Amino acid sequence: MEFSLQNSIVNFLQQCANGLEIGSFYALIALGYSLVYGVLRLINFAHGDVFMVGAYLGFFISTALLAPEGMSGLSPIATLILAIPLTMIFTSLLGVSLERVAYRPLMRKGAHRLYVVITALMCGLILQNGNVALLGASHSAFPELVPVVVYDVWGVNINNVMLFIVITAVLVFLALHFIVSRTRMGMAMRAVSWDKFALPLMGIPLNKVIVFTFVLGSAVAGLGGFLHGMSYPVLEQDMGASIGWKAFIAAVVGGIGEVRGAFVGAFLLAFVETMVNAFLPSTYSDLFAFSILLLILWHRPTGIFGRPLTAKI
Amino acid sequence: MLRVSNLKAAYGKIEALHGISFHVEKGEIVTLIGANGAGKSTALKALMRLPPPESPTVTGGDITFNDVSILGMPAHRIVHDLKMTLVPEGRHIFGNLTVMENLQLASWSRKGEDTDKEIQHVFDLFPRLAERAKQRSDTLSGGEQQMLAVGRALMTKCTVLLLDEPSMGLAPLIMYDMFRTLKRLNTEGLTIVVVEQNAHLALKVADRGYVLDTGKIVAEGPAEELLHKPEIKAAYLGG
Repeated sequence: MEFSLQNSIVNFLQQCANGLEIGSFYALIALGYSLVYGVLRLINFAHGDVFMVGAYLGFFISTALLAPEGMSGLSPIATLILAIPLTMIFTSLLGVSLERVAYRPLMRKGAHRLYVVITALMCGLILQNGNVALLGASHSAFPELVPVVVYDVWGVNINNVMLFIVITAVLVFLALHFIVSRTRMGMAMRAVSWDKFALPLMGIPLNKVIVFTFVLGSAVAGLGGFLHGMSYPVLEQDMGASIGWKAFIAAVVGGIGEVRGAFVGAFLLAFVETMVNAFLPSTYSDLFAFSILLLILWHRPTGIFGRPLTAKI
Repeated sequence: MLRVSNLKAAYGKIEALHGISFHVEKGEIVTLIGANGAGKSTALKALMRLPPPESPTVTGGDITFNDVSILGMPAHRIVHDLKMTLVPEGRHIFGNLTVMENLQLASWSRKGEDTDKEIQHVFDLFPRLAERAKQRSDTLSGGEQQMLAVGRALMTKCTVLLLDEPSMGLAPLIMYDMFRTLKRLNTEGLTIVVVEQNAHLALKVADRGYVLDTGKIVAEGPAEELLHKPEIKAAYLGG
């Protein structure tokens, strides 16, 4: 293929489309990182693994609903419609359990935040290795719930699953933004992020707000896991680490604790990554991507939307 | 109404209250005075049943509200069920929320009720807050923040209000205004327990007072009496 301006533009647009899809996964995970951090000032390092569990749960629920050969099951579309909320319910239960079993007891005993973060990291490893122990190291394949239809838009390949994923991510972001900025519970979440001590004095149960935050974050991560399975059917037990870590970095770059930050950071990271990938050898991808993010943080240590915590009088 | 008997409270292993007893009757203003570290704030935080580590754990004695022990009650239930709340030391307003949002949040436990009237009542008490209703509350001055902290507590529809050092960091005029407002709220029926370093001011408005020293109550009585006791004058009222 001869080098031409047109090819470059098509390539660029193709990478943009890919970036949008990958950014959607990052966003769905980063939002949960950011929500939990906003409320608890805790980096819930098990969050990436909640995403992984979401993918696996999605796989099991979908295969169960579709039913093995010979038995009558649901149609793929009905499966999709039912499996997504079920996956989200189960991952939110997982998130709530993590909070109840791992974080709350430590915080009640006044443990330093560092210990809680290390505990979160351990919980993530437990989930990951628990999965390996349970299922073995085999890679499971996600069933095809929606036949992939590829559209060719001026040479750029886009498919229906990709579109579905990007639109879902945007809708989830808008919903979370609405909850945090417009609802009573969101107001309480913002209040906790500023001052945990005073919330009970308003007659508001702090734990209820914390649990709600974990439900929200984990449900969204579960949704992300499910969508990831639809787009990349091969499930891997370490996907929580590989994708989850990047989502965490995206949340930090965007300004952790800010819903907008998680969203913008996720797409920024995805674009940088896909662009480096497109025009440089792929081994450079992470090196360049993270160097650029480092520069951004260097310039704005609290992330793009983050506010420095000023001393309170 | 509110009765504290032989209360012992500790932060971890360090005991901060060594068995104090006091009581508050409906409609009273009671003040706890004493030097820094005497245990005044600890007593209020224990009353509110706020969770450790910021607040103490009760290791002995009892706190009763209308003769029912409240030791097993979490703070948010005390606010909601007993209508008692605290304006904490340092105000602890939600700086990232607007003035209006701070007030609305405090009416959380009364979902669905029409709170416009109560917000209006707070604005009547503190007209400055009305002017700044849409402003982020960390942009308020210290005095305005204290007004917001009190206004926010009133939005919980409390009948017993605990205040921890309400005069801290306030200019004298604003401080007197604040105490005048507290007195007015008291005549409207609010029971008040106020912890103060400015013992003179507190005893002036209070009905009764208790003097704390290193976790023990060393004197008590009608405020007027305490104001004129020579040893109290010498130790807490600047001679």
